[in-house]
Amino acid sequence: MNSRGFWKTALKIAWRESRGSSTKFLFVIFAVAVGVGSLTGVRGFSEVLARMLKREARTLMAADAYVRLLGVPTQPQLDVISNLEKRGVQATRVTETLSMVTSRTMDIPAPVSVKSVDPALYPFYGTVTLSPPGKLSDALRDDTTVVSDDLRVRLKVEIGDTVRVGGEDFRIAAILVSEPDRLSSGPAIGPRVMLTRAGLERTQLIQLGSRAPQRILLKLNDAIAIPVVREQLKKAFPDDAIFDYTESNQNVTRSLEFATGFLSLVSMIALIVGGVGVATAMHAHLIQKMDSIAIMKSMGARSSQVVSIYVFQTILLGLAGGALGVVMGSGVQHLFPPILSRFFQVQVDVPWLPSSAAQGILTGLLVTLLFTLPPLLSIQKIRPLIILRRAMTESARDWRSRLTDSRNGLLAGMLVIAGLAGIAVWLIGGTREQAVRVGSIFTGGLLGSLLALAGVAWVLLRLLRFFVTSFPLKLPSTLRHGMANIYRPGSQSESVLTALGVGVMFTLTIYLVQVSVLTELNRSAPPGMSNVFLLDITDQQHTAVDQMLRTQPGVEHAPEIIGTVSSRLTAIDGIPMDQYKVEGKNRRFAGRRVLTWSQNLPNGASVVQGAWWKGTPATPQVAVVDWIAKSLNLHVGSTMDFDAFGHPIRAKVCAIHHMDPHRIGARIEFIFSPGVLEKLPSVYYGAARVRPDSVAALQRVSFARFPTVTVINLADIMNRVQEVVNQVGFIIRFISLFAILAGATILASSVAGTRFRRMREVVIFKTLGATRGRIAAIFSAEFLILGIVAGLMGSLLATVFSMVVMKELIKADFHFNLMPNLIAVLLTALIAVAAGWVASFRILGQKPLEILRSE
Amino acid sequence: MIDVRGLTKIIDTGTHRVEILKGINLNVPKGQFLAIMGPSGSGKSTLLGLLAGLDTPTAGQIRLDGQEITGLPEDRLAVLRGRKVGFVFQSYQLIPTLTAEENVLLPYELVGSNGFDGRARARELLANVGLADRRDHYPVQLSGGEQQRVALARAFMVRPPILMADEPTGNLDSANGRHVLDLLISLNAQQGTTLVLVTHDQQLASYADRRIMLHDGLIVADEPR
Repeated sequence: MNSRGFWKTALKIAWRESRGSSTKFLFVIFAVAVGVGSLTGVRGFSEVLARMLKREARTLMAADAYVRLLGVPTQPQLDVISNLEKRGVQATRVTETLSMVTSRTMDIPAPVSVKSVDPALYPFYGTVTLSPPGKLSDALRDDTTVVSDDLRVRLKVEIGDTVRVGGEDFRIAAILVSEPDRLSSGPAIGPRVMLTRAGLERTQLIQLGSRAPQRILLKLNDAIAIPVVREQLKKAFPDDAIFDYTESNQNVTRSLEFATGFLSLVSMIALIVGGVGVATAMHAHLIQKMDSIAIMKSMGARSSQVVSIYVFQTILLGLAGGALGVVMGSGVQHLFPPILSRFFQVQVDVPWLPSSAAQGILTGLLVTLLFTLPPLLSIQKIRPLIILRRAMTESARDWRSRLTDSRNGLLAGMLVIAGLAGIAVWLIGGTREQAVRVGSIFTGGLLGSLLALAGVAWVLLRLLRFFVTSFPLKLPSTLRHGMANIYRPGSQSESVLTALGVGVMFTLTIYLVQVSVLTELNRSAPPGMSNVFLLDITDQQHTAVDQMLRTQPGVEHAPEIIGTVSSRLTAIDGIPMDQYKVEGKNRRFAGRRVLTWSQNLPNGASVVQGAWWKGTPATPQVAVVDWIAKSLNLHVGSTMDFDAFGHPIRAKVCAIHHMDPHRIGARIEFIFSPGVLEKLPSVYYGAARVRPDSVAALQRVSFARFPTVTVINLADIMNRVQEVVNQVGFIIRFISLFAILAGATILASSVAGTRFRRMREVVIFKTLGATRGRIAAIFSAEFLILGIVAGLMGSLLATVFSMVVMKELIKADFHFNLMPNLIAVLLTALIAVAAGWVASFRILGQKPLEILRSE
Repeated sequence: MIDVRGLTKIIDTGTHRVEILKGINLNVPKGQFLAIMGPSGSGKSTLLGLLAGLDTPTAGQIRLDGQEITGLPEDRLAVLRGRKVGFVFQSYQLIPTLTAEENVLLPYELVGSNGFDGRARARELLANVGLADRRDHYPVQLSGGEQQRVALARAFMVRPPILMADEPTGNLDSANGRHVLDLLISLNAQQGTTLVLVTHDQQLASYADRRIMLHDGLIVADEPR
């Protein structure tokens, strides 16, 4: 005979019990909401941005399609573009490079990003916004420029003033507010300067062999389809990237996917902390409901029927938390547009999207259900007999029932872990293999942390009890009572400490890693390491630049200047590169490469196989850096074919060397013997170690003599990197703060759950003569100690994890800093006190008789 | 209806072993009203719990309405209890979040019954115990006597062949206790159930068809009325 209608009763009991326990459950709902809020905020914004990228793809690239090259296009390549133009396609070139700019009021040159366009055609889609408002084609002439506002501030110039770029003067016609294809260029190194193509030519910044990124923008017509255009472009530009609007901006999309996946995982920490809260609250709730459960079982209810009541309750909690979280998430979304605007000058509106809201609610519900599994298992163990007899309980249960309980607990635990790992994999996105790998590492790492925290909590609570019981009369009674509340049976201190500790641990880890990375970047460079770099030195200039550096005050060591030639690797051991076996990601080496030459083994290099040449070898020899030799399966004796500006070069590998990563030539993989490359179009790069107070003078002198040479002060780059690291760190820490908030909520929930016990204790204290102030001090001591212990635990583990991250992942030294740890402990203590009092402030005002009467 | 052979219950508390029942043999025919008496700690409630399938014996067998219940898994015991045993506890044991009517309906919803209208029967039973106008009230809104009357109605909901009561008037004053007892006996007579009642009250036990006295885990007296 099937039971009828019990599910309606189950729902009734679930709903009415939830209403009856509303104070306790309110905190649980909030804990779930916090996790859902951060997740919905991150993913909501990401979805908005992804839709914008897709919808505005043409505007964001200012074209229907474009080719991105690293150098000047060759004549055959230009011919292909001309053919397309004859078929009605419009084409225009955009060149971007680094240079130096000065003004009459500021003769210390500033490094800038220079962009040259044809204002009659550019942009094909979207508009360039100027201040004062106007058309780009009116403002930008061959002798004028538009500049970003930060350059105006840095050089102390206004509209109408003149700036000098590459030795040529340009009048500032307007301020550049935004460009539609800004995202396609990547983050700017410095302020932005826009010139016409003729203006750029005047500066002579671009020479044959210069590595200035170029984009050839194309506007198609109906007569020619994208696949046809791509086909032709691929043939003409085999080593260059081709994009069209149907696939949006791949680099940005990939970066967005990575950032979304990472921040989603950070949000998941808050969700999991909320889940821990749900499990703890449900466990305590079930203990209170044991009698009802026993009654139902004695009436004939099966365990599954009883469990259904609490599954309904969990669903109610999960949905309520999810709905509240969605509201919070819409606020979190608004955090990101200002940051995006700052780095990319892109404005993004953030409308509310039902899809990300639904995703957030579903994730919140799933996590809540998963974490309720272990307490629900305990329903099976509740025996109906307890309503008849509680006085004598059997303690030594047989090994079979203990094994069954352990097995069931283990099964529930594994289900929870598998469920969480599944959610993590879903949130990460990307390729399946990557998502599974990262998801597993994240889940394993987080669970390991939770176990470590729970273990540390267990030890610390035992130590606390030992400390209090060993020195009972030496501690003030307020402190003693407060501490006793923490380790008494039935308190949920271990769960509370773990939940609060994990948020502190993660937030502090991010901060400590960030500080360590920046310290590592800023600390004194190894002796002899260069801090000033000179770019785009021409063949005609390099001897004079070398001399200038040797005679300039403040330059501490002989400078390094290396010449480079741009080329294509065409074959290895006679096998053309399109047939040569190169694995996956190593394929990028099989294309355009930069070559250099040297008579002697360069400083910082050491030969690991073969031998360096002596004198000038009769046939070209090449030395290959060790890591690329491995990637391309090269060995001493291999032959390599290159094509440099139409000149074929065949060289034999005579040595494999290792290069010090701090040297200027560290990124150049192939060093040729002398007499091979010198006559080819080349660009030189220089590096010098300069006293910091002499860098500005060097920049001034260099700009005066060599206005096309860009002088980069490493300190400027470091400032920019520091800014980016700080911003990224801020975002991650902000999201991880939600985990701390969830932990604090769980503390409040735990306190709310012991409300009646506390009320009785308050009554007894008051009856015995304690003032409200004294009782408040006892409660405060309890919350303060919980917060300090959680802070200590989180800080201890954060230090360990930061050390591991720095040494094993970033491969750098870890710099321990005591102050952030102390501040973390203090702030956690304050948060714990605040949370505890939010949950218990009404208790103090209760009159003793009110409580005793209600017993 | 109830047949017990060699029933033993031993509890190990970790510090010592307690033999609560030491080999009880008992047969309760259908329709009999049996009172189980004895001093505190004699094993009365333990015996009742074992007979109802709320606990498992250390040794011995129990048959309820022809079915062996010893060794059955918990869920099967629950289903059996739901169909065959009505229970009245000393502390009423109503579900606090259900109304009087919903509490009475609970056994019907859990196990179902043979085609009768559950709601009509619940209301009829509540009327029988004089609480027709309190059916939408929660336990917290009812007095002790009223709660026990609701528990009585609940016990008879699915017409179980066996009713077990553990000190049903133990928490009531004498007037309410008398009222509840009268209702229990009259409902029992109407339904024809086999009634097993645990009590220390001599007067209450005097209504039973048969009284057994437990002492130190053994039946020391077995008297018909």
